[in-house]
Amino acid sequence: MRALGIFLFALAAGCAGVKETPPAVKSPAEPLVVVPPPAAVAQPPAAPLQPASKDEAVKTEPVVSAAPPESKSQSVKPAPPPVKAPAKAPVPAVATEPPRKSESPPAVAKAQEPPLDVATLTARLRDTKAIGTFTKLALKNQVDDLLKQFRAHYASGRKASIDSLRQPYNMLILKVLSLLQDSDPALARTISASREAIWSILADPEKFNSLT
Amino acid sequence: MIARIRVYALIIPLATLFAGPAPAAEDVTLLKDLTSVILLLGLPCGQVVRAKRQADNDHLATCKSGHRYRVFVNAEGRVVAQKQ
Repeated sequence: MRALGIFLFALAAGCAGVKETPPAVKSPAEPLVVVPPPAAVAQPPAAPLQPASKDEAVKTEPVVSAAPPESKSQSVKPAPPPVKAPAKAPVPAVATEPPRKSESPPAVAKAQEPPLDVATLTARLRDTKAIGTFTKLALKNQVDDLLKQFRAHYASGRKASIDSLRQPYNMLILKVLSLLQDSDPALARTISASREAIWSILADPEKFNSLT
Repeated sequence: MIARIRVYALIIPLATLFAGPAPAAEDVTLLKDLTSVILLLGLPCGQVVRAKRQADNDHLATCKSGHRYRVFVNAEGRVVAQKQ
């Protein structure tokens, strides 16, 4: 009876140990995502919530209500803004809107977009367990082929037709994403967000030469 | 009789604990890998349903569509899928 108890306990322990491994796979991916954040503006959180540029009176409300919080009750506050708005609206609304619109989209984009360079991309693709060894090798071959095309392009001295390599680059990125999106969605998201950053490196001869 | 039960009670759990991943799981991984490679090389396949190992890094893959490919790493280090 005791032996049966030991057997059941050991069996349960053996089964329980198997499910703990997958979370450990995800952990190395996270620190790399944290690496890149460039300088972000300190005030962006309010900006993306207000991009609706419908009424000027609505946008002027916070400016006007923030300045005169003097002595009236809260029930009176909603009434005055529409009265004051037409008088003060033209100057501050025009002054405040353009900077907000120009600042808010990059702030949102930078928050989600980790600029991944080619070396990091290679390392992360090498480390991921989402794709097998054959696939990794085939992928490496195709990346090498593309880099060879870039190298040949820059060696030939042509400058006009770098865009002709954009399509094979996009195709390769799509292939990588299709391989990763189910098994390693975090890496797929990172690569997708870094697509333009990587292209900017490849499309610039100096950056490309420093890379290779 | 009790001693034999004790022996089995020790052996079976230990075998369960120290057993490696099941061969079936390895097969699934390999089939998925071969499917991805053939897809990556732009060849028609759908899904690899069977794979026969011929040598190191050399497999004969049978696709769901009926196509058969020899997937191997050639002397230059390139992965090649050769239609059979």
